[in-house]
Amino acid sequence: MRKLFTTLAVLIAATFFVSSSYAEDVIKIGVQAPTTGSYANEGQGIDKAVRLLVEQKNAEGGLLGKKIKVYTCDDEGTAQAAAICGRELVNKGVIAVIGSYTSTAAQAAQKIYYNAGVLQTSDGTADALTENGYWTFFRNSNPNSAEAVYTADWIVNEKKYDRIAIITDYSTFAQGLGNAVEKETKKLGGNIIYKGKIKANSQNYTPVLTKIKSMNPDVIYFSGYYSDGGLLRAQQQQLGIEADFIGGDANDNPDFVKLAGSAAEGAYIINVPTPELLPYDVAKDFLAAYKEKYNEMPPSIWTVLNADGLRAIMHAIEETKSTDTKTIANYLVEMDPYPGFSGDLAWDETGERVGSSYLTYRINENGNYDVVSQ
Amino acid sequence: MDIFFQQIINGLTIGSLYALIALGYTMVYGILKLINFAHGDLVALSAFIGMTVFAKILGGDASLFAVIALFLITMAVIAMAGVALDKAAYKPLRNAPRLSAVVSALGAGLVIQNGIMLTWGPNVNFFPGDLVPNIVWNIGGTVVTFIQMLILVLSLILMIALYLFINKTKMGTAIRASAIDKDASRLMGINVDRVISLVFIIGSALGAVGGIFIGMHYRGITFEMGWQYGLYAFVAAIMGGIGNIPGAMLGGILLGLFNALIAGYVSSTWTDAFTFLLLILIIIFRPTGILGERVAEKV
Repeated sequence: MRKLFTTLAVLIAATFFVSSSYAEDVIKIGVQAPTTGSYANEGQGIDKAVRLLVEQKNAEGGLLGKKIKVYTCDDEGTAQAAAICGRELVNKGVIAVIGSYTSTAAQAAQKIYYNAGVLQTSDGTADALTENGYWTFFRNSNPNSAEAVYTADWIVNEKKYDRIAIITDYSTFAQGLGNAVEKETKKLGGNIIYKGKIKANSQNYTPVLTKIKSMNPDVIYFSGYYSDGGLLRAQQQQLGIEADFIGGDANDNPDFVKLAGSAAEGAYIINVPTPELLPYDVAKDFLAAYKEKYNEMPPSIWTVLNADGLRAIMHAIEETKSTDTKTIANYLVEMDPYPGFSGDLAWDETGERVGSSYLTYRINENGNYDVVSQ
Repeated sequence: MDIFFQQIINGLTIGSLYALIALGYTMVYGILKLINFAHGDLVALSAFIGMTVFAKILGGDASLFAVIALFLITMAVIAMAGVALDKAAYKPLRNAPRLSAVVSALGAGLVIQNGIMLTWGPNVNFFPGDLVPNIVWNIGGTVVTFIQMLILVLSLILMIALYLFINKTKMGTAIRASAIDKDASRLMGINVDRVISLVFIIGSALGAVGGIFIGMHYRGITFEMGWQYGLYAFVAAIMGGIGNIPGAMLGGILLGLFNALIAGYVSSTWTDAFTFLLLILIIIFRPTGILGERVAEKV
């Protein structure tokens, strides 16, 4: 009896192996995003946006007649988990990965995808991401250096601040952006009185802010993430530091306003246009579909940019009629600008996106953004 | 000069939080010789429970009654959670090798942490913000907020109350006796199991107060925050002498002050490096911690 049972079990198990080999008629796409942790908001947005796009595509008949299957891996926003995700997604046989939200996580997995010939598109803005010129990598946002040029111009030429304090954290992205802003500001003759770092998620920033207070800054520029930016702004007000607060692009998230509380009003954020401000019809349609399916708007422009990355890859697959990643990559570099949610999509050989458009927003008393620049 | 006093206030505030949490570690270690690694996660849980209690049971209105009820209810819930934790994860391993209990503690911590994530979701949750009046005192350049003052005063009261309880009451003596020698205490007629439960109740309740303060002060709470506070509080308890109650209080305050002063006067980048360097130096020169007693090795 026992022998019969074992034989049956082995046969049943064998059928699973057999049936899974028939499942080759799908195109596999991976999502690597921080779906838990401090950036869960953004990570989940990316996952939701990708799944919505895939659902829409599958309803139209899929890509080249095949259905698309999505595999998501949670990288928790850390390098260690990102490297694990990289291997896991590659083992699953994906041809492209959307992710990650943070440059640190994108960078940690980048080499793994490059070695496996798996395409990767990320909203990470650290300049380091395109330095190696990996043909598998396509940045769907604009690099820190572009933002730094705009920020420095705003700080020195537009607002003419006299005493500038810069705070960054330890991540690849924030340090890169902070250093670039410092360099550009000095080029324009700005007076930087303080540059320091906080440890992300440590929540208690009063010591650093107290030190900055003693130096009488006009403006505090923070190049890190919204989960810290909101608290910095709240604690700045708490300590009575009367300086303007400018947050870099990663402060663009509804949680910034929630964490800053009453201090959010009057804070400035520099970023490319928010989803609601995008003028393109494809964008408006996508946002409407997202709202209908998930009962909320995407958390930020980063969600939309990553969705754009996926759309470009899907477009490339359809145009080249191939799922060979090198063919797709060559197409993406050579193609004519493809209309995306965030404007025309085009890339150069290093994987850098071509074209950019930054704005400065001021948060008003309702927690909404007013555009104060063009 | 005024930033010195400001840094002192900053340091004392965060130090009080560390002290409250460190007390939980030190009391449990004193009795069970076990580092309760799940304690930090209980603190995180208390912030979440507090948030839900305030919204669902107290109706979301901030009044003095509601705030006091919030503290008492959350402390009660977490105290029970602490006892449950002991009964589930530590009691069955009372006679097992110490390593087993440590592994169990780590596992219990993960269970609580992931339980929080499954219940409240992986996103940042927001603790109610308007629980206390938003008064700010400005004393010659040094700014103190109402919440900071509340943390300082309440922590001080609780620590004095705990000290008096441990040293001046019969139950406190029972706790001290059990910490020295469990078997001898049993021979004296002390119900050691009940003492252990009491230690978990007190330690967890104090941790709960710390958790609510963290929620009130920093607003954003995530399921992973227990780890970070737990680590600092554990370091504080070690610095002050693990198993020693005034030591935990001293260690917490010292750690907070040191953190603030280094961040303010040296560099924010080196804060952790210097803090843990301090820990290493203290352990090298006083292995049992600042206030730790040299306990004779039993041979």
